[in-house]
Amino acid sequence: MNTTARNAAPPLLSRIRFRDAGTVLGLILICAIFAVLTPTFLTVPNLLNILQQSSINACIALGMTLVIISGGIDLSVGPVAALSAVLGAAMMVAGVPVPLAILAAIAIGVACGFLNGALIAWGGLQPFIVTLGGLSLYRALALIYTGGTPIFGLPAEFRAFTNGNMMGIPNPVLIVAVLAVSAWVVLNKTPLGEYFMAVGGNPEAARVAGVPVTLTKLSAYMISGAMASVAALILIGRLGAAEPTLGTLWELDAIAAAAIGGASLMGGRGSIFGTLIGCIILGALRNGLTLMNVQAFYQLLATGIIIIVAMLIDRATSGKQG
Amino acid sequence: MTPRLSLNGIVKSFGPITVLHGVSLTVAPGEVHGLLGENGAGKSTLLNILSGVLHPTAGSIEIDGKTASIHSPRDASAAGIAMIHQELQQVPELTVAQNIFLGASLRRMGPLFTDARAQEIEARRLLADLDPGIDVTAKVKTLRVAQRQIVEIAKALRANARLIAMDEPTSSLTPAEFERLTEVIRGLTARGVSIIYVSHKMDEVFRLCTSATIMRDGRLVDRVELPKTPVEKVIEMMVGRELAHAAHRSFATNRVVMRVKGLTRSNAVRDASLTLHAGEVLGIAGLVGSGRTELLRLIAGVDAAEAGTVEVEGKPIPGHSPLTRIRAGLGLVPEERKRDGIIRHRPITSNVGLAAMHHFSRFGLIQKTALRRRTEELMQEVGLRPFDVTRPIGSFSGGNQQKAIIGRWLAANTRIFLFDEPTRGIDVGAKAEIYDLIEKLASEGCAAIVVSSELTEVIRLSDRVLVMREGRISADLGPGEISEAAIARAAIPAT
Repeated sequence: MNTTARNAAPPLLSRIRFRDAGTVLGLILICAIFAVLTPTFLTVPNLLNILQQSSINACIALGMTLVIISGGIDLSVGPVAALSAVLGAAMMVAGVPVPLAILAAIAIGVACGFLNGALIAWGGLQPFIVTLGGLSLYRALALIYTGGTPIFGLPAEFRAFTNGNMMGIPNPVLIVAVLAVSAWVVLNKTPLGEYFMAVGGNPEAARVAGVPVTLTKLSAYMISGAMASVAALILIGRLGAAEPTLGTLWELDAIAAAAIGGASLMGGRGSIFGTLIGCIILGALRNGLTLMNVQAFYQLLATGIIIIVAMLIDRATSGKQG
Repeated sequence: MTPRLSLNGIVKSFGPITVLHGVSLTVAPGEVHGLLGENGAGKSTLLNILSGVLHPTAGSIEIDGKTASIHSPRDASAAGIAMIHQELQQVPELTVAQNIFLGASLRRMGPLFTDARAQEIEARRLLADLDPGIDVTAKVKTLRVAQRQIVEIAKALRANARLIAMDEPTSSLTPAEFERLTEVIRGLTARGVSIIYVSHKMDEVFRLCTSATIMRDGRLVDRVELPKTPVEKVIEMMVGRELAHAAHRSFATNRVVMRVKGLTRSNAVRDASLTLHAGEVLGIAGLVGSGRTELLRLIAGVDAAEAGTVEVEGKPIPGHSPLTRIRAGLGLVPEERKRDGIIRHRPITSNVGLAAMHHFSRFGLIQKTALRRRTEELMQEVGLRPFDVTRPIGSFSGGNQQKAIIGRWLAANTRIFLFDEPTRGIDVGAKAEIYDLIEKLASEGCAAIVVSSELTEVIRLSDRVLVMREGRISADLGPGEISEAAIARAAIPAT
């Protein structure tokens, strides 16, 4: 991702760049440590592997970042992914053309996001609680629909697409790259992006200034729902099956990545580039520890420590910046 | 007789700004003493110093002839001073007895457990003289405001207060409840408790107080004996005689740009109608709580009206959203800039462009260069300092934030500006600049409504002044009729 091309508004962007630079520095540090500890870490196949492993979390985290910037949170992303995965898979197995089934699966994610957004924007309910409810609701729908059993037998052409690559770069990585550029454009170049930051920064002031607050919130959750569906499609393509239990705890990884990347859970601030680096940091950490044969329990421990250390550094530096 | 309280030459500065310039005040034991002044005269600051919330920069406080050092609300309480705020500071979910003993609960078995029973007995004893009808086990949220006030007085007595300061105690009381409060206050003074009584309601002050201290612009004007000083004299001392610094210039035309008819919202605004002309600056004066801000917010569509219409250029505007009003050419410059105005972390460009993003977008993308150029033009016009439109708005002073908010509406081609306390929290220099800006807008044919608590400001800016009282428009003063006395007369509620 090329972010140095941004050239307008130097001081504010340089502040965001300052924050992004910190995230990149963290990534370099982690990579350097693993490069010394394991000889296979810093090889092209392994680095591509890290990107591929991070792609699903990155996909979720992009939508999550927009939601967080607009002052909300979306805890329901995992179950939304599961629901669109099983319904999309069922359609493919039933013979619905693959492109149509993909669109339908994404539409389901958008619909779930719309329901979340409607309850929050029109119903005036708290995002945390609404999406916590959604977390159970959508999971239950996925389980009820499948009776708890995975759906097998996805068409080969679909699997070939998600498992393929272009010039050696895995397709999921390319898909996420395209989505990330789009999310960056939306956030930094469109009125909607400006509205996300305004609504998240000060909803009342945004309303007085004539910002369509309701539509803005709604858009954020719908985008998040769509991103969850795309992540689900990437996963079921790779596995060849759609499990109703997929996506468990995805929301936490996505929130962690966004926070490491500089998104403020108070809303109004965040960076698409930072979130991507955050995802890669988490991915690299897991990959490196696995290469070193570190037990999974300690991987969890390391993840927790990284998140808290990142937040402490953030606090210490942003305090000085005001 | 030794005075119960004497404040000697209290000075309070916040950095370079001095808000109290050596104010002195004495209250005798068992006296009800009025503390009078306009909004912003410094009464609240003085009360905050008395109750230990703020520390004086200079001056001393004496209680019963002994110098008291008050550094916290706890010290004030220990010195026998209690404060009853306009917004009662109680925990609604706790009972009457629990609130009375909040922060000083009675214990049993050492410090281990709260002795609820002892507290209730003691609370009942305290309330017996005040209002025996109050159930000490009821939750405070179930009480009426008048009863909650009595509970607050009982709490003051529990702390052995010898001086109780009451800030606008009757702002939400009915006449009958005021009578009841009068009896309670008389009972307190009979026991030797002194009262400082802050109120805008002259009739109450004249009935209750035997003397009063009058403040204006952070200074002591005089101490007067009541009720023998005439009410006109007291009002005159409150509002002062100084004239506005620059003469008012009028650009008003006869062309009607906006008609507001019968706007109503519960008790805050009742049946308010007004007409606004191109180039006209319409002032709205009145006391705090008279419905001025509320009326402005109804016109701006920020709050929903229960009845009434707003017509711009002869066309009624449907709905209540700020968006439709903005499209019709209205723009609100809110009083609470931090809460309702600025997006703190965003640069000036984003804050200025916020209401007009569609002007600055092509093919769905914001034309950042165009936005920046227009912002710089506008900020040059309003005189932003420092002149850097890429800095977050939160890093600018209040006056410059205000200029950016005005710029926001200029960018949106607003024709009707709604200013709510346009110079609140803004220093004197920037104040004059804001006045010039409002005048410039008028000279360009825009119309403006200016709500302000400062009479000098209203008089300086307005071609016409509406005075509000208890949610209604009580006077419409045209050119030649505008004077501080006329506004004050229409603003202060009759008995």
